[in-house]
Amino acid sequence: MNSARPAAVLVVEDDPHLAAGVAENLRAEGYPVATCGDGEQALAWLGGHACALIVLDVMLPGMDGFAVCHALRSQGNNTPVLFLTARGDPADRVRGLEAGGDDYLAKPFHLQEFLLRVRAILRRWDWYRNASATAATAVLRFGGNEVDFRAFRARAWNGEAQELTEKEAMILKVLAEHAGEIVSREDLLERVWGYDVFPSTRTVDNFILRLRKRFEQDPANPRHFLTVWGVGYRFLSEGAP
Amino acid sequence: MKATRVYQLTALALVVVSAVQVGWWIFDQHNYTAEKVRAAQSAYAQQTGAAQALLDSGTPAQRVQQLLPDIVVSGRRAALRPALEQTLLTEERRRDNQYAWEGAFFLLALASCIAVIARALRAEQRVHQQQDSFLQLVSHQFKTPLASLQLSLETLALRAPPPPAARTLIERMLADVARMEQMVTQILESARLEGGRVDFKSEPLQLAAAVARVVSPIEERARQERVSISSDIAPGLYVISDPLAIDVVVRNVLENALAALRPAGGGRIELCARALSGEVELAVRDTGIGFAAADAARLFEKFTRLSDGANRYGTGLGLFIVRRLMELARGRVSAHSEGPGQGARFVLTWPAAKPEAQP
Repeated sequence: MNSARPAAVLVVEDDPHLAAGVAENLRAEGYPVATCGDGEQALAWLGGHACALIVLDVMLPGMDGFAVCHALRSQGNNTPVLFLTARGDPADRVRGLEAGGDDYLAKPFHLQEFLLRVRAILRRWDWYRNASATAATAVLRFGGNEVDFRAFRARAWNGEAQELTEKEAMILKVLAEHAGEIVSREDLLERVWGYDVFPSTRTVDNFILRLRKRFEQDPANPRHFLTVWGVGYRFLSEGAP
Repeated sequence: MKATRVYQLTALALVVVSAVQVGWWIFDQHNYTAEKVRAAQSAYAQQTGAAQALLDSGTPAQRVQQLLPDIVVSGRRAALRPALEQTLLTEERRRDNQYAWEGAFFLLALASCIAVIARALRAEQRVHQQQDSFLQLVSHQFKTPLASLQLSLETLALRAPPPPAARTLIERMLADVARMEQMVTQILESARLEGGRVDFKSEPLQLAAAVARVVSPIEERARQERVSISSDIAPGLYVISDPLAIDVVVRNVLENALAALRPAGGGRIELCARALSGEVELAVRDTGIGFAAADAARLFEKFTRLSDGANRYGTGLGLFIVRRLMELARGRVSAHSEGPGQGARFVLTWPAAKPEAQP
């Protein structure tokens, strides 16, 4: 952790043993930890506190983990979420990530892997926050678009206000940092997701399509988000001629 | 499984087509009869017309009568024999009636076939869904203590904690193992009960003794959890049940009450019994977290875990087993609560043993 203050983690888990075990291990790693037994309690806690990561069980009594994550995202809360679940099939994995989760771990899990993933998520967010910390890096202007990385908001060339998801913002950040260079799909996956979360690099393509729809005047003939066949993408802030 | 379904669906389709065909047959026969009657009527009308023409041309009435036996001549007017018209209409009605009865019979038979097949299909689907959700829930129920166990073990391996912390971890692991062991027992028990493979004895049992057998081993644990258990059961109350079943039932209800008292940090459990006409009722009252009245019936379903339920360690099978065992004993169980936080009352009712049957 390179930030001065260690990042706080909220653990939302209804099983007291598991909650205690997870919390003790996170504390041993130096993270301040808060725990909640159900979704409503977690949302209430998050209403008054901020944290750097939420470890969220899927099968909670009452409101389930997916619903909690949905509720957070619709409130504009972009805190990263690591799902813990007893159901580890791929369909569930995709559901969790669609709900706005950052990573997904099936129970029973390995402690070391869990800690690694926590670290990886926090590192990615540290990078994102540091890379958007100054007035110069917080805002990106290209082709009449204006993106505010800290607020996850943008104004498109046609004046339309846009709410970015954290993944869209991160991808844009990576591309903008390497403006003019070719960035491979694998690099994007590694920088933004960090893990083998998604089954394929196709996911990246879908995110690029979404960014084009938001910011290109003609998404079918992009001038900023260019495909480099067989390799990846190139971002041009000036726009291709 | 798949092939059976294909057969069922094919049979269903065939039966539906047959029903449509029978409907069409009735309609067609009815039309055909009506057409026949119309043709006969027009033939008679022609005969009447011809007879009238013969009469008008001066043919004697007797001759006309001879040539056309279906015609009667009165004065100089020819008319159809009235009985003939009547016969025709009667025949039409008779045939229509016949089609209606036969058709209705076939349609009824086919409709019952459709109902039977559709019912089987629906039942099969329900079983499938139940099996799916059963497997899903069972695997979830197992994975949670398993995850906790693995986490504790890996924590021990990774951090080599000092003895007091290690002690906590070991206790946690023992509790997780006990939890899984209880789950296996309960899942097997409920599977046995569902499959009907139970050897259920019916014999007169002294309720007070049966309850005491269950309460005494629990009392120590209850004291630690600051729960007092009091029981007021007259020694003269005898019920008809299986001795093992009554044990399981009372234990499960008591464990449930203890779990409901845990979030409240302790409280009271009161057991009292009374004789009703031909039955004996045991009420188990606790001062625990209670439940919403609407959830009373759901409590006895498999894997019910109320949203604010206390028993996070439960399998969701305990009260399901209680209900099945009470049914086997020809008894009943019901749950009552004034609402969350208001405590709960579980009432078990057995058939009473007749005084002369008491040992």
